[in-house]
Amino acid sequence: MDLRTQRGTEGFWPRLIWQGRIFGAYFGQFVKMRLAYRMDFLVDTLAVSFSMAIQLTVLSVLFSKIRALDGWSFEQVLFIYGFSLLPLGLFNLISVNFYGFSDKYIIGGKFDRVLLRPVNTLVQVMFESFNVSGLNEIILGTAVMIYAGMKLNFAFGVGDFLALLVLVPSAALVYTGVFLAITSVSFWHEDRMGLAPPVYNIIRFSRYPLTIYSLPVRVFLTFVLPFAWVAFYPATWFIGGGQLPLVALLTVPVGVVVFSGAVWMWHRGAANYASTGS
Amino acid sequence: MSETTTSRLAPWRRSAAGSVGLYSYFVRLAFLKFLAYRLRYYTGVVSYTIFVTGHYYIYSALFASAVADSPDGLVGGLTLPEMITYVAVSWIGRSFYFNNIARELSRQIQEGEIAVLLIKPFHVQTVMMFEAIGESGFRLLMFTLPIMVVIVPLFRIQGPPEPMLYLWTFVSFCLALVIYSQFNFLLGCLAFGMKNIQGVMRAKMVSMDFLTGVVVPFTFFPLWFQHLMDWLPFQYVSYIPVTIYLGKHQGPDLARVLLVQLAWSVALFVAGRFVWQRSVRNVIVQGG
Repeated sequence: MDLRTQRGTEGFWPRLIWQGRIFGAYFGQFVKMRLAYRMDFLVDTLAVSFSMAIQLTVLSVLFSKIRALDGWSFEQVLFIYGFSLLPLGLFNLISVNFYGFSDKYIIGGKFDRVLLRPVNTLVQVMFESFNVSGLNEIILGTAVMIYAGMKLNFAFGVGDFLALLVLVPSAALVYTGVFLAITSVSFWHEDRMGLAPPVYNIIRFSRYPLTIYSLPVRVFLTFVLPFAWVAFYPATWFIGGGQLPLVALLTVPVGVVVFSGAVWMWHRGAANYASTGS
Repeated sequence: MSETTTSRLAPWRRSAAGSVGLYSYFVRLAFLKFLAYRLRYYTGVVSYTIFVTGHYYIYSALFASAVADSPDGLVGGLTLPEMITYVAVSWIGRSFYFNNIARELSRQIQEGEIAVLLIKPFHVQTVMMFEAIGESGFRLLMFTLPIMVVIVPLFRIQGPPEPMLYLWTFVSFCLALVIYSQFNFLLGCLAFGMKNIQGVMRAKMVSMDFLTGVVVPFTFFPLWFQHLMDWLPFQYVSYIPVTIYLGKHQGPDLARVLLVQLAWSVALFVAGRFVWQRSVRNVIVQGG
């Protein structure tokens, strides 16, 4: 009995705390492993900064030709871009095992090992590896956001800070949910097609104001592949956009629904899993 | 080892016809290798369509917003239909010349597979170039053509001002393939000297489409940047072939840009051979 409570298998909250502790242990292990390769982190910081420098150059070159893009100023678009990096960073931090999940866990049979342990399978897969690159995106994205906010003379109140604390994780849930759903598909079909890359490629276009796209594209990005909720809608809380700021707050239910749906798919898939026997 | 023994032992001292036979075999081999993975390219068609669609909307909005400032409808010297054609042809061309030689070569160097390649009787650089040609042959049939079938009608992409420019654009993209593959080869050679090549590879990944002009045409940039790019090989990978298609290079200018492209192809090949031969003098393979 004592052992059962310690393992936290009774009740929702003890279980959540237990999984949080597992996450801490995994992360600690990962940090120790990473510290052995300090140079890697430095190289990664340089690579992320370089990539950002190029994207910012592209934005400023485009804006050197116009005063505003469909009514959006350079600073506003910059703010959306900076904001988009925060949920993306959070997502990148934990999502690294989604890539090649089919190869590593299903075809490689690594999922057998996951099933043997008395911890949620999804928690294990997500936390078995981290991508520190995410930290760089969060830091640099914050810097861009602060810069753009200052240029916009944006008065950053307590309410905005709280909104940021809620919106960023919610937007990260949207990312995680979408890619978790795609990853879950590989329980039924080995992912030979590579469904993730085209979806991943849409991300870069979700950083532009949604209003530049035609109605079908806007509907698609809002309801079908909900990437409008990872940057544009939540960012309108801060930069305005002619709509109610409440739309931005809808990011929270969208994130929860998308992520829950994906978790449900994952567990359906895991139940369907048959080992390759290798 | 003295100079004479090296040349006597050099196993690639075969007849010219033998070399052609050997290397063209690698073209076929690469073609067949990629044919086995053709399923992956179906979603690639979707990805490229997404890239063109996204840029289509961005540039349409940009041109619509620029109307107030440029009554002639030109932005960066291009009209909106030209701009959309620029985007489409850039991505269609990229689907043809693209390869991953840099990553492949650096992986082989770091994992020690290079040792096996070094004892084989061929030039690794030449083999990799012919493999890239084989890969692009595969891409042309199974990737570039499907992308064209989707994109050209979807965005009503216009042909070039003169039919002959179809040919010159294709020639130019073929030279772009040589430049791109040789640049990648040189980049891959960096793995001989660097312990961690990941950063370089990522920097290349994020900057290549920018430097070649796929993302933004160079006429959007300040003049100093355009002059700088004139002295570098990158614009010959995409910007030049695409502007040839748009009819921006006529008569002697067309001949000039194609010749400069050819010169870059040769120069990068020679540079690759030079760097390779200096690098392989001192290769350390750990275990393997």
